[in-house]
Amino acid sequence: MRTIAAFILPLIIVLIPLYGILKKVAVYEVFVDGAKEGFTIAVRIIPYLVAILFAIGMFRESGAMEFFMMALAPVLGFLGFPVELVPMAIFRPLTGSGSVGVLAEMIATYGEDSLIVKMAGTMFGSTETTFYVIAVYFGAIGIRRVKYAVQTGLIADLAGIIASVIVVRILFG
Amino acid sequence: MLNYIWAGLIIISLVFAVSQDVMDLVQDPYQNGKEHTIEVIFPENGDPDKRQTVRFRIQGHEGTFEAAWRPYEDNPEMIIQVDEEMPELWLSIAQDQDASNKEELLAEVVGFDRSARQASIVLPKVYYVKLNAIATAAFNMAEFAVTLAIGLVGIMALWLGLMKIAEKSGLMYLLVKAVQPFMRFLFPNVPKGHAAHGVISLNLAANMLGLGNAATPLGIKAMEELQKLNPSKDKATNAQCMLLTVNTASIQLLPPATLVALIGTGVNELMISILIVTFISLMVGITAAKIYERFHPEDDHDENIPDDQKIEA
Repeated sequence: MRTIAAFILPLIIVLIPLYGILKKVAVYEVFVDGAKEGFTIAVRIIPYLVAILFAIGMFRESGAMEFFMMALAPVLGFLGFPVELVPMAIFRPLTGSGSVGVLAEMIATYGEDSLIVKMAGTMFGSTETTFYVIAVYFGAIGIRRVKYAVQTGLIADLAGIIASVIVVRILFG
Repeated sequence: MLNYIWAGLIIISLVFAVSQDVMDLVQDPYQNGKEHTIEVIFPENGDPDKRQTVRFRIQGHEGTFEAAWRPYEDNPEMIIQVDEEMPELWLSIAQDQDASNKEELLAEVVGFDRSARQASIVLPKVYYVKLNAIATAAFNMAEFAVTLAIGLVGIMALWLGLMKIAEKSGLMYLLVKAVQPFMRFLFPNVPKGHAAHGVISLNLAANMLGLGNAATPLGIKAMEELQKLNPSKDKATNAQCMLLTVNTASIQLLPPATLVALIGTGVNELMISILIVTFISLMVGITAAKIYERFHPEDDHDENIPDDQKIEA
């Protein structure tokens, strides 16, 4: 597993520009053009990060987080679901930029090599902000009655949330 | 929904902090104002009227600790170096005190017996710990949000630059062929050769590579194509629901840029787990959508489309 993993990033970083060159893309200019967005996006998510981080920071410091974790632990522990992941599971379908804040706070609290952060990271990468996607896609064509789209989106999210815990535990546990 | 969760977090924090602090006022766990008796050990020939570093022993507790002795006109003060060997009470006062330097305790000497070198000292009073803590947390986290976001810029730029190359070089066309065989199964009501197939394939391929900038406009275009087949203009068809489901539960070959920037190089391991997890959630999503379809039967859309829309995908 480690050997496969070690190859992934270098291959991506090398193969994408290589493929671009083969397809006669002005790779350098295009790269710089795309890279410019890095700054824009980082700045654009600041308000969302502030909103989520300060609320979660207060929640943790007030002792409420500890209380709810203790209250939920018997139920979730029985299911084998780590309580620490509850904030991520709640925020992920609702806000993409906000869940960046949740993940960042978890990295600061538990360390980036911890199993819990690997689960949260997998969860973050695997599930979508379903409500946002529905709003954008159906909003664009004026659909108001979305039928069962919310349900199927959330069922898929839930499957992703549960699978993140199991898969990460099997792979890295 | 998000509004309530967010406001809930803040309000619950306040409720918890206030109730904890009120309980502290009643129970007085820090024993505010209590006089602690200590024995001060001055260095040889030490004059209690001069500033100096002293050691002291806490009555009823092992070990000696260091402090700076500050004799003032009325009452001397001691700046105590916090030591892990100190009694629990002292450590929790040090941790929860107002002063920003948690390594020192500023104690007031209220009584000093020169001959016996015995002193009564009062430690800093601790009130409203949790209220202070949540206010501090709010401010610190707001600051952290900005340092965090700025810290993400570099790797985000690297990743988004690469993704732009992937997008411009048409890397997603490589995946379109892999997606196409499933089109008939996923969208049985969309006639063969309809333009929607091509756009949907591109949208799904872009999604799999995490090319958000390319995927969203393609997804909206695909929705528009499906809308042309929709007999009622404000109610979603099964095909549109399926498109939405496979979009929210897409297989993720490459992770989102923000995840790469947050986790750093550790993301290579996560790509494997994400690939497996997204495969599972896609299967579950499609199955769920197929089951819902059974309860919402629809006629074939064939009769609704004008001939000029039957373009080769």
